[in-house]
Amino acid sequence: MEISKLNNILKKVEKPTRYTGGELNMRVKELARPDGTKRHRFALCFPDVYEIGMSHLGSRIIYNVLNERDDTYCERAYAPWFDMEAALRENGIPIYSLETHTPLGEFDLIGFSLLYEMCYTNILTVLDLAGIPFLSADRGEEHPLIIAGGPCVCNPEPVADIMDALIFGDGEEVMNEFMDEYSACVKEGADRRGTLERLSKIKGVYVPSFYNAEYGGDGNFKSLEKLWPAAPAFIERRVVMDLDKAVYTGKLVVPYMSIVHDRVALEIFRGCTRGCRFCQAGFIYRPVREREMDTVIKQTDDSLDCTGYDEISLFSLSSGDYSHIHELVPIILDRYEKDRVSVSLPSLRIDSFLKDDLEKIQKVRKTGLTFAPEAGTQRLRDVINKGVTEEDLLRSVHDAFEAGWHGVKLYFMIGLPTETDEDVLGIAELARKVSREFYSMPKELRGKGLRCTVSASTFVPKPFTPFQWEPQIPVSEVLRRQALLRNALKGIRGVEFSCHFSETSRLEAAFARGDRRLSRVLIKAYEYGARLDSWDEHFKKDAWERAFGENGLTVEQFANRRIDLDEPLAWQHMDAVVSLDYLKREHEKAYAERITKDCRKGCNGCFGARCAEFCGKKVD
Amino acid sequence: MRLAVVFTKEAPVRFVSHLDLLRLFQRAFRRAKLPLAYSQGFNPHPLMSFATALSVGFTSRGEYLDVVLTEDMTPAQFIERTAPWLPEGVRITEAFDLGTSRKSLTSAMRSAEYRAAVEFAEPVTKEELNKAISDLLSNEIVVMKKTKGGIKPTDIRPMALGFELIGLDGSAAVFRISGVLSAEGGLNPDMLLAEYYKRLGKAGISDIERVSIRLDRDALMDR
Repeated sequence: MEISKLNNILKKVEKPTRYTGGELNMRVKELARPDGTKRHRFALCFPDVYEIGMSHLGSRIIYNVLNERDDTYCERAYAPWFDMEAALRENGIPIYSLETHTPLGEFDLIGFSLLYEMCYTNILTVLDLAGIPFLSADRGEEHPLIIAGGPCVCNPEPVADIMDALIFGDGEEVMNEFMDEYSACVKEGADRRGTLERLSKIKGVYVPSFYNAEYGGDGNFKSLEKLWPAAPAFIERRVVMDLDKAVYTGKLVVPYMSIVHDRVALEIFRGCTRGCRFCQAGFIYRPVREREMDTVIKQTDDSLDCTGYDEISLFSLSSGDYSHIHELVPIILDRYEKDRVSVSLPSLRIDSFLKDDLEKIQKVRKTGLTFAPEAGTQRLRDVINKGVTEEDLLRSVHDAFEAGWHGVKLYFMIGLPTETDEDVLGIAELARKVSREFYSMPKELRGKGLRCTVSASTFVPKPFTPFQWEPQIPVSEVLRRQALLRNALKGIRGVEFSCHFSETSRLEAAFARGDRRLSRVLIKAYEYGARLDSWDEHFKKDAWERAFGENGLTVEQFANRRIDLDEPLAWQHMDAVVSLDYLKREHEKAYAERITKDCRKGCNGCFGARCAEFCGKKVD
Repeated sequence: MRLAVVFTKEAPVRFVSHLDLLRLFQRAFRRAKLPLAYSQGFNPHPLMSFATALSVGFTSRGEYLDVVLTEDMTPAQFIERTAPWLPEGVRITEAFDLGTSRKSLTSAMRSAEYRAAVEFAEPVTKEELNKAISDLLSNEIVVMKKTKGGIKPTDIRPMALGFELIGLDGSAAVFRISGVLSAEGGLNPDMLLAEYYKRLGKAGISDIERVSIRLDRDALMDR
């Protein structure tokens, strides 16, 4: 690429280091191996802007897995911000990788990380700027293979017409199997179709073009038929059972600009035992697999030494549940106190006893505290199996206030199944009690003024949760309940309200539960200017409405419809390992307002007959 | 002890902002396990500061920063110890002990020299380029400049200490520009060039390198 042309663009765009690469620990490799054979060129693309993509732990893992291979060079790419997209178009510069500034069209493979539904149009921006056709069917031997991984692959159908292949589950092992097979195909001169056939034989790999979807007279998904008889009937999620043995590097790429999670993120365990019924991650990352404490400490040392970061996040879906958390936190704090490293624990549950740990963390640096009761009444918390009580919350905030915190965030959801106005008003009641807890403490014991942020997002039904059949409440109802809550929160001392705009949640629900027809909707919406949709201020409602309309579809039919328990599901060929029977049982228990215990306290049988293979705990 | 450090900011990091550059050094020095001194207070940070900012997009052969250490080391030791930990495009070329001086590097700055490679959209002659330089320098150069009190017309001519053509090849010219650079402010060579293009009647795309900053080391050491 012409350096001066690019420099001239970078002088004019916002945050130019999004697009320069050259960061510390960036992998540098020759394009050919010493014996002269070419390395496979893999562009790992996170379809959102750099500061978000660089914060994603999974992509960092895959970047390392691929670059540990001698036969592959993995480079990074991200979606450009509006100004850069315009500048690239204006100057006829194709989107390029950060490592070697190579146009993406020249790569052998482009792999997208699908973390949330609202990033899908950014995939199209990247393909468009690379000069690659959107539809898998329109691509030929001259184009890179377009593949994807990440949690959204549990329902890959909305991007099925776009992707050549998708990879379901943990990437540490399957990525190597995938590249081994790909490499063999290249050596043997297999064509695109032949390569995809062979890749589809790998457990966890899905090639959508080998199937055709049928729709019923009611306009709903009916079935997925194989077009190629040898294609697998089910795509089983890949699970890495031993995280201590999984590939890891402390040499994380260290960005120049500040990114969203600008710290070392160390995964202490994968999966979650709690079983909150709305939470997709809680089901699709089962079973819980912990890292040994020694591994965590060693990896912490490596990461801090190689990056120079002064903050580490002990990261998981529920860090307070780590078996050795009370040993680990003081060890890490003591070990790095003189180096002034601070520790943060995201996703703390309010029923974990962490008072001592909190006080220690506070010694280094005060980080924000966030609690997620999710629902305002005990009844609704039982419905969603949140398993925490009002006492848990009040005790936790009391401990936090005593330890000197005066800012807390409380996360709730609006529109959960069975929610009534009483539940919505319950949120305000809970906030009032938190406020009282603070102001009833003696002045000398508490911090200055309370800053309690009540945040309410909109419930989105997700595949592979017990609520996958549930409708999202209509927009008008979301707005009414938000107003009800806003009103009820007025005048509570120290409490602020923030709520998420509901249009994007609605679209998120449609794409979460969508079928193959949404690929065309996506492309139309992109053509009408939809971009970076998770940025509310850039959300183009009209583009989406038109795109759905022109394809004879509505957002409502995907987002706001109650799916019958016996109806075919657009994602039923994806096997997330948790059994359908279990999800139905959990659905029933939700309506009975009955909770299911944390599976650390005994097995609930979520894997059914495959328990021994994936978990090994005894079925009760 | 307090050390002054001279470093380069080359092409790979030319777009790193001032604030991000500070963080770059903090992290590099942490990786090098330097005995950094920290500020007191709520969020302690390493005691280090730059003499001045460099415009994003410029490269430089000699920027200045000072850093406070809790243990003594020689400038040579400092350079050796940090070298393996700096990212591509940043090299420490010199360091010197500031002794007991309490003065900021900024207060000792006097001027700076720049090298501007300019690509014109069309061929240009040496004569027209030189004529436009003398035209430009013979009068006030009033530009709209952002100040604390808003955008105001300002004469930047007194800030321009030198401006000469040092190379020309077709439509590619190279200029040497020197200007005031002090605690009170300085010449922005991009701004000067923008005015120059107007006089010349031809637009160009510039690539600017700060060749050196003149620091009055005697004034710095004065107590």
